[in-house]
Order: sequence, then structure tokens, then C-alpha cells
Amino acid sequence: MMTTTRRAMLKAGAAGLALAAMGGTVAVAQNYGGTLNVGLTYEIDTMNTYSTGYLADAQHTIIEGLLAPDENAQYVPVLATEVPTVENGGIVVSEDGQSMTITYTLREGVKWHDGEDFTSEDVAFTWEAVRDPAFIAESKSGTESITSIETPDDYTVIVNYDSIVPDFASTLFTFGIMPEHILAGQDLNTHEYNELPVGTGPFMATEFARGQYVVLDRNPDYWRTAENGDQLPYLDRLVFNIVPDTNTLMTQLRSRELDMVVKTPYNQAAQVESFGGYELIVGPLLSWGHLDFNFENEFLADIAVRQAFAHAIDRNVLIQAQGGFPEAIKSIVVPIFEFYDENTPEYEFDPEEANRILDEAGYTMGEDGIRTKDGERLSFEYVTAAGSADDENIQQIIMAQLAQVGIEIVPDNRAGVALREARYNGDYDLYYGRWITSADPVYSIFYGTEGALNGQGYSNPELDAVFETVENSIDTETRMRAFSDIQRIVAEDLPTLPLTTNVSLITVTERLQNFTPNPTNMTNFVDTAEWYLSEE
Amino acid sequence: MSLSFLIRRLLGAIPLLFGISLVLFTIIHLAPGGPLDVYADNPSVSAEALDQIRARYGLDDPVPIQYVKWLSAMVVGDWGLSIRTGRPVLDEIVLRLGPTLLLGGISMALAFCLALPLGVISAARRGSRLDEAVTLGAFAGISLPVFWSALLLQLIFSIWLGWLPSAGMKSVGDGSLSDRLLHLIMPVTVLSLATIASWSRYIRSGMIDVLGQDYIRTAYAKGRRETAVIALHALRNAMIPAVTVIAIDFVTIISGAVITETVFAWPGIGRLFIESMNGRDYPMLMGLMMMGSVGVVLANIIADLAYAALDPRIRHG
Repeated sequence: MMTTTRRAMLKAGAAGLALAAMGGTVAVAQNYGGTLNVGLTYEIDTMNTYSTGYLADAQHTIIEGLLAPDENAQYVPVLATEVPTVENGGIVVSEDGQSMTITYTLREGVKWHDGEDFTSEDVAFTWEAVRDPAFIAESKSGTESITSIETPDDYTVIVNYDSIVPDFASTLFTFGIMPEHILAGQDLNTHEYNELPVGTGPFMATEFARGQYVVLDRNPDYWRTAENGDQLPYLDRLVFNIVPDTNTLMTQLRSRELDMVVKTPYNQAAQVESFGGYELIVGPLLSWGHLDFNFENEFLADIAVRQAFAHAIDRNVLIQAQGGFPEAIKSIVVPIFEFYDENTPEYEFDPEEANRILDEAGYTMGEDGIRTKDGERLSFEYVTAAGSADDENIQQIIMAQLAQVGIEIVPDNRAGVALREARYNGDYDLYYGRWITSADPVYSIFYGTEGALNGQGYSNPELDAVFETVENSIDTETRMRAFSDIQRIVAEDLPTLPLTTNVSLITVTERLQNFTPNPTNMTNFVDTAEWYLSEE
Repeated sequence: MSLSFLIRRLLGAIPLLFGISLVLFTIIHLAPGGPLDVYADNPSVSAEALDQIRARYGLDDPVPIQYVKWLSAMVVGDWGLSIRTGRPVLDEIVLRLGPTLLLGGISMALAFCLALPLGVISAARRGSRLDEAVTLGAFAGISLPVFWSALLLQLIFSIWLGWLPSAGMKSVGDGSLSDRLLHLIMPVTVLSLATIASWSRYIRSGMIDVLGQDYIRTAYAKGRRETAVIALHALRNAMIPAVTVIAIDFVTIISGAVITETVFAWPGIGRLFIESMNGRDYPMLMGLMMMGSVGVVLANIIADLAYAALDPRIRHG
């Protein structure tokens, strides 16, 4: 685990003495009560987890799924009693190996916030509701490969798939279960559920003031108890305040109007220490910054040029430019995933080597310091997000580093949809961006020949074949091997240069206990039940 | 001024608004990208889901057909559904219009009450210390960026003194009058500052022109006191140039104050517009921009009427 951390350090420092005094045992009584004020920088569009265009920070405290990813991006059971696997019989692959069946056993005694029982009907309903074309929602992946759902009794759900779906847990049923008794036969696009959803989670939606805040109150009948028998959750109230301006966000921390900010801007994080009473937690994030090559450009289609790029870029400088927070990576699979292969080939920062490769490949140095081949200069248009200070700094550094090996970079930055359009259509030579993924990402959409997000015109049949294996196999060992192949092929063929993995900087009041950052797209609020505030 | 003038102006506004709507619709569709691109950053959104959304919002029709559909719905009062939130555009706008009118209205009223005496006094005492002080203050007010003065106020009153909430419209679970007033103080101050500065300059220059007129000398010759000359003879005429500016500024209220609303987390129209623009939420953008256009057209008509009321020599016939 790489929850680095200043929190660990702080605790070690502060608790060190106390620990020594108490002989190594820390017996802290958990306090009930209190309000935690959280600052969000985006405007919540809808409280429905399946149709929101954002990560559903507030929503995940209300609505629970069958499974959820924990702080190590591993799935753990929530409303199901265990994570189905082939080993425990939860997943059964058909004899021909072409389809599978997953059986969930549901937790008994769970009640919806309105007091109704949670049953298998709700699970089946959620699948039907989400896959219904009339329901406008973007998070529908996972619904199309299910052929039918059987509910032999209230606490058993049998899901039949038409294919092998190893990432079955990434969206459907994990994003949340919807209440059948409230929503059956209703129009999900306009239902009041989208404002004040009814879930089974530790907190209940009390008020949603659009553009202002969401208020969530403690669910007194929550199904979970702590290990010591305490009825969960501890906190009385969670308030998510919508604060679109990052300066104001910092102001509200200083004035104690906010207790927690999950997206502290990198360039303002240094201030946090001076506020007093807050700690800055550096959490891992399933995100990686990458420089993509467009294969339509004949120079970039030459592996020698791509290798020269790989040797010419010094990641340490990129990290320094981002406040020292990100970490260098060599694989598109970020190290927190179990499928990360540390033997993935690596390109040392070595401008000499880059120059040698380019010389050998026939790119001769011109008088202006830029190499040419067949009379054409080695000059590329580089697209990244205009207005994003971090991304533009990275661009400047990469420009300077590549100038050292005789490659010219011309910035052509765009913002918002213009940027996305360029990325989709491959309207660039080089593209720098970041991907943030779920706990079990499907990499073929980025680098597969038919990948929806492959705007760079990259096609490698060998890689496509490995993607095919990964996406149709449930066997951990097969997948592990295939993931190693993916990482090796990408590192050797270099359709993209993975540069740094980003971190999330969470500012939180020192009073908040039992908080651990969650790196997945299920947000830091996927497991809030045991959070509590210590005495002031 | 006649009723027929008013009717003619209002009827004349209808083709104008059609023209505006056509231009706006064209421009927002010419801007690169589309409403579904926000989902492009999310790798778990499937192509099928996007197709369903596209079909549902009629985004796969050619743009001219989309325009005709939008227009024929708009004419009968159906503003469409927001693509970003899935809720009716009109509901969203009405929800945001209240806070915006509250903030803008109070700021403008305050600005008018302060700009008028400041402009008049500095014109009447032209060249005096007072005039110089007001002029300096006005230029400072015009030049200070809103986000900077907002940050400064937040630092002083929220962090150092702890007297005022730094942002938001009301506290959770409160919303009493005093709570709302406390939340209003800083945004109103920031928003009215620049307006006071610019309006007082217009009023000052209008006043200086008028004070040099023959009829003012006549009024003094009759033995009237200065206050009476200014209030009864000069003020009405001096206001005419300022009226256009004030009328247009008043209308811009309904378009929201983007920066002030963002810095103070005020749930108004300005923020809604920015959100909608970033997401290329076409129906919402059209609704907001048409509302703004209607406002500007009406404000011009009102300004014309106000001229005639202030100066009987101006007649519309």
C-alpha cells in the first residue's frame, strides 16, 4: 500500500510520546455526534449515482452497492455477504467457457431509509432500471452482458452473463442498489429520487439545495456495528458544500467553515500546514499522466523517435514542477493495482542515448539545433489542456528537454470540449493528459485498435490479442500473465509514455479519525460509517 | 410619448429576438465539441449509453432541424430539458434567478443610492478636495478586480475577525433573515463597488455639462439656493446620459455576476451559465441567453421611455 504520508508521519510524531507513556496501547473512545463540513468544487447535477456526470462523493454515503473497492482498490462485500469468486463458488463458468453465472448472497436485516426491507428484488430491479434505454444515464456498462437475473428467495441473486466478464464489479451493483418499492414503474429521469435518494447507507439525504449544499443525516437504523459493538455511524451529520472557487475553498478551511477538502489544488497545498488544525493526506489515485504519440505522423510512427522521447524526458523534473507530489511510473498499470508488473521494461533518462538513437536512425542535426530527415524538421504539435497550470508547466519542461536532443515542440493548447475533440479525432502530434479509472480498468479502450478513446491511430494486433484474453478470462493467473504482456508490449512499442501517477491531496481536520483515502472512482466517501470526530 | 410608440417598439422586438435566437443557436453549435463530451473523460461510459442519451435529446438531428424543434417548443413555452441535469430548463433558471436578483437588485439599489449623491457632489464641487477624493475612489473602484477585493474582504471579515460567513447564501438549517443578511454583506459590497464607481462618473460628467447651461445661470439669478437649483433644475437633465448605462447595467443583473457568484459560492445564474457553457448544455444555454436578450431589448425600450419622462423635449411619436 502506498498511502504515504504525512498523516502517518504526523501520527508517529504526535502519538509517539503518548504511546510510550501508555505502554503501547492506544485506547481511544469513539465519540458519537458532530457535523463534518466537506467542500466540493463541482456543482452536483443529480444525486443518482448512475446518471451523474461527476464522481458521486456525496451519493456514496447514502447509497450502497453489493460490493465496494477498499483503500487498496480490492473489492470487499457491502450488501452482499462475500465477494463472489470461482474459488468460493460464487462465479460459475459454463462448460464451454463462453459465459458465466454469479451468485450473490445478500445481507439479511438491511433496511432502506424508509424502513422497508432490502431484498433480492431490489438488485434485479436495479439491473432492469439501469439498462432501460429510456433511463438517461452514462454509467450503464455492465448491464449489456447480463441476460437474466433470478431471485429464488429474498436473499439470493443469480446473475446470468452471456460472456466472461472479469470486470463485473466495476460499475453495475457497485455504484449502488436502487429501491424497487419506490422506483418501480416510475420515470427515473424526473423522479424525486434524483434529488433525495433513498438508500441503505450510513447517512440519509435530508436536503439538497442546488448550487449550495447537500445535507446528510445519520441513519439510526444502519445495519453495521463496529467491532466493539457500537452502532454505526458515529457522525451525526455530513454537509457537502459546493464551493466552485479554489481560493474560497482555502479561505473556508482557514475560517474553520470547512473540515475537509478532498481535492486540494497542488499549488495551494503548501498553505495547509500554516492553517493549523488540519492535516494534508497524500492519497494514491488511480490516475496516470501520459504523453501519447499520433501514429498518423510519419516521424512518430518511427519507433526510434519514440524511444528518443522516452530517453529524453526526466520525470523527476516533472514531479518537482507539480509540487513534488506525483510519483514516476513506467507502466500504464499504476503500481497500486495487483496486476502491476514491476519487471516492465524501463527507459532511463539518458539524453546521450536519445541522441545516439536519432543519429543512427538518420535524423541529422540542423543548423537551428533541430534535427531533419529528408528535408523535414523534427517538429511536433503538442496539445494539452489550456489553462491547467500543472499541464502547461509539464509541457514547458518537456519542450526544453526535447530541445536538448534536437526535437522541436510547438504548443497548441486547447480547453474544454475543443481539447476533447482534438483528442478524439487525433488532431495533434503529441497529446498530454491524465486518465482516472475504476478499480479494474479496461485498457483496450485506450490502446486497442477499436478503442473508443484511441484517437492516436495506434494499432497493434499482438496487443489486441492480449486485451482479448484479459477481457474474457476470469482466471487470475491467466489475467496476471496477460497484464504483464500488456505492460511489456506497451513499454516496448511505446504508443504512449506513462510519466507520473498522480495523488489526491486531502485536507482534513485533525479531529477526524478512522479516515483512510480511497483511490478509486467510488471516492473517499464510500466507507464513512466509522469516521468520528475527536474532542476539540 | 404614446401608447402606439410602446406597441410598435414591442412588436419590433419580436423579429429582432427571432434573429438573435438564430444567431445564438448557430454560434453555440459552431463552438467545438458537444454536450456529451463531458462523459468522454470517464472511461466507463459505454458507446451505447452515449447513443441513448444522444437520441433522447435529439442531438442526432441536423442542426437546422434541432433549431426548428427548439423554436417551436420555445414559442409555446417549453424551454426543453437540461442535458446536464435532466431537469426542465425553466425550473433550473427560476431556481437560480431568485438568488441572482436578490444579490444584483440589492447591489444595484445600493449603488444607485450612493452613486447619485457622490456624482452630484463632485460635479457641484468640481476641482475641490472632495471631488478629487471621489474621483480617486472611483478609479480605484473601477480598477480593482472583483476577485481580489472579494479575497481581501474574506481575509479580513471571515478569517481575521470571524464576523461574516465567507461564502454561501445561507447556513445549513438556518436561513433566517439575519443569517441571510450576513451572507449578503460581502458579495453586495464587492458587486456594488465597481458599479458605484462607474455610475458616479457618468452622473458627474452629465451634471458638469448641465451646470454650464444658460438656464442654470437663470435659476441662480432668480435667487434660488444651490441645493434647489441642482435638485429641481439640473438633476433631471443631468441624468439622461446616465440612464442608458444604468438601464443596461440593471439588465445585466439577470445574467448574473459570474465572478462574484463563483468566489462567494452564490447559487446564481452566472454560475449556471458557466457550468452550462463548459458542458455545452445547449437547451440551458439557449434559455439563459434568450432570457438575457429579452432583458436587453426591454431595457432599451425602458431607457427610451425614461428619456421622455426626464426630458419633455424628447418625444417618441
